[in-house]
Amino acid sequence: MTTVTGAMLAQVVVSGLLAGSLYALVALGLALIFGVMRVINIAHGTLLMLGSYATYWWFTYLGWNPYLSLPAAMGLLFLGGVHDPVDEKPLEKRAPELSSLLLTFGISISLVNLAQLAWTSDLRSVEFLTGSYLLGPVAFSKARLVGFAFALGITVLAFLFLGRTKLGKAIRATAQSREVAMVCGINVGRIHLLTFGVASALAAAGGSLVSVIVAIQPEMGQVWTFKSFLVIVLGGAGNYPGALLGGLLLGLVEQLSSLYLTTQVSEAIAYLLLVVVLLIRPTGLLGGRT
Amino acid sequence: MRSTEGSRLRGLWALLLAAGLLLPLGGSALAQQPIKIGASLSLTGTYAKLGNNQHRGYQLCAKHVNEKGGVLGRKVEFVLYDDRSDPQTGVRLYERLITQDKVDLVMGPYSSAISEAVANVNERYKMPMVAPMAATTAIFKKGRKFIFMVQSPAEVYLEGLIDVAAKRGLKTAAFVYEDTLFPKATVVAPGGSVDLAKKKGIEVVFVEGYPKGNTDFSAILTKIRAANPDVFGAATYFDDAVAITRQMKELNVNPKLYGVTVGGDLPKFYELLGKNAEFVYGATQWESTLPYPGAKEFTEAHHKEFPGADFSYHTAGGYAGCQILVEAVKRAGSLDGEKIRAEILKMDFDSVYGGFKVEEDGFQVSHKMVMFQWQDGKKVIVWPENLAEGKPRFPTPPWGKRE
Repeated sequence: MTTVTGAMLAQVVVSGLLAGSLYALVALGLALIFGVMRVINIAHGTLLMLGSYATYWWFTYLGWNPYLSLPAAMGLLFLGGVHDPVDEKPLEKRAPELSSLLLTFGISISLVNLAQLAWTSDLRSVEFLTGSYLLGPVAFSKARLVGFAFALGITVLAFLFLGRTKLGKAIRATAQSREVAMVCGINVGRIHLLTFGVASALAAAGGSLVSVIVAIQPEMGQVWTFKSFLVIVLGGAGNYPGALLGGLLLGLVEQLSSLYLTTQVSEAIAYLLLVVVLLIRPTGLLGGRT
Repeated sequence: MRSTEGSRLRGLWALLLAAGLLLPLGGSALAQQPIKIGASLSLTGTYAKLGNNQHRGYQLCAKHVNEKGGVLGRKVEFVLYDDRSDPQTGVRLYERLITQDKVDLVMGPYSSAISEAVANVNERYKMPMVAPMAATTAIFKKGRKFIFMVQSPAEVYLEGLIDVAAKRGLKTAAFVYEDTLFPKATVVAPGGSVDLAKKKGIEVVFVEGYPKGNTDFSAILTKIRAANPDVFGAATYFDDAVAITRQMKELNVNPKLYGVTVGGDLPKFYELLGKNAEFVYGATQWESTLPYPGAKEFTEAHHKEFPGADFSYHTAGGYAGCQILVEAVKRAGSLDGEKIRAEILKMDFDSVYGGFKVEEDGFQVSHKMVMFQWQDGKKVIVWPENLAEGKPRFPTPPWGKRE
């Protein structure tokens, strides 16, 4: 249809990477939960939604700069996640993955409905940073650019936390093998809670960044949950750098297929990619557990 | 524990109150059962904003009808469920309303997509359905007998935009649409935007649909920016209208005329976008300033009943749809489906919404569409000329050149 010029391609690649960084940030949380707790957290997108609303209310009633209130949103959801009222121990004994799927599904529905009751389905948004920087023919949306910077920054911090700190190593150890970690003296129960807290904080960060970009409404989290799963399969379950790569890849695939084909098809292409990766390399592009 | 003395007194009061209420009714209490009107509405989900407006229209209509003594000597009462903006859910709910809740009458849901889905249900049970929020022609051309259109059809939603473009000598146009029944019909159906543009000698350089729920329009807008059309029309609902407008600014897309269809007329559109909503054109089936009978009173009554609530033609359409049904029942003198249908087909009725007259298949032929532009935070009707209150601010200045 339309001939694709270099400028158009550049624009779309930029859009893809900017969007992808957010996917990566949010998916990282999901990867952590799955890797450590073997829990399939369907409620992940819902956590993001809560982060968005927190940012919105703080912005509307307290005038807080959404980027400055981001740590607060992360802290809030961290506390929520760490006090995760759900006792997974009985689940871990039998069919952990299936039960956790149903459980988090239920939690997700409850939270979404509570949000609808409390805040109605009215669209909200944080009108903070609009417009873009123009670099030649390529426009960098301001909100997405700042989001990109934060997302990468937080992801890097998360990697440093996982790689360099004792707690981070304990988390990775638990992910590798619960039994051996216990033998090494790691309090696995506490690690699970901590992981859930960290993952919730990452989802909240995503929500905070996204509140300036998209419309906020109670069901906004759904698509983020789906995309996070896509990213994890692409990058490899439990593979944290894989989440980053997968996120950026997903962003690019979506935008490029929208450009060369149509936007309707781009959704299908993303899922097609998922199927292809599962068939050819089920452990994900960077490898991980199945 | 409450004292039994107190609760006995309370019981006595309740009895007296009930007796007091029942006495004046006298006659057969059964005939005073309210007439139940069943409907599903999109109270949550993608269409929530507009579904809730339509809901308030229904509520206000019922209130006014009852204040005037009801219909056939009985009050009316809506039995409403939330279809969550999902056609499949709507179908289930109408089945339930008709077979389990045994409603006497039905009213239509929000959107063409859901109206189309549920049309088969009320057709099967021969319950006439005034479908106030269905503007897709195809719904009414399938040989159905029990569905009636209130809106002007989807195909003419962007007619104002295209007409203004043609009059200003513009040469190229681009259209996008949410890939669902109504927006798609607006653009690509026979007699839709693409056809209208071609008829006026405007070249259509880009047409593309996007999936429902899409939030990232960068690729589409990048392609549009490259195609550089004079006119850009988007057949949208609300969320996407906001997202597209915002992202146009981000990607610096600057057509000389830019209009949306649904959603652009909601006060919330301007609230969310602020100054970025200026110069945007929108299609509307109705504005409170139009000279229709009772329109002003309806608007005032609405603001009194629902202070601060969002208000749009969806509210008025809901209200008028219910008005039309009640009028038809009055004229038929019965709740019989066939009799009501016969009356609806005979009607040449002016509601608060404008003209209502349908053909044998239920297709609307009397109602008129108008186009407005956001100017200084107000919607100014700019087309058609005989109903216009102001002139279009043309051309739309590029994003970089606005204050």
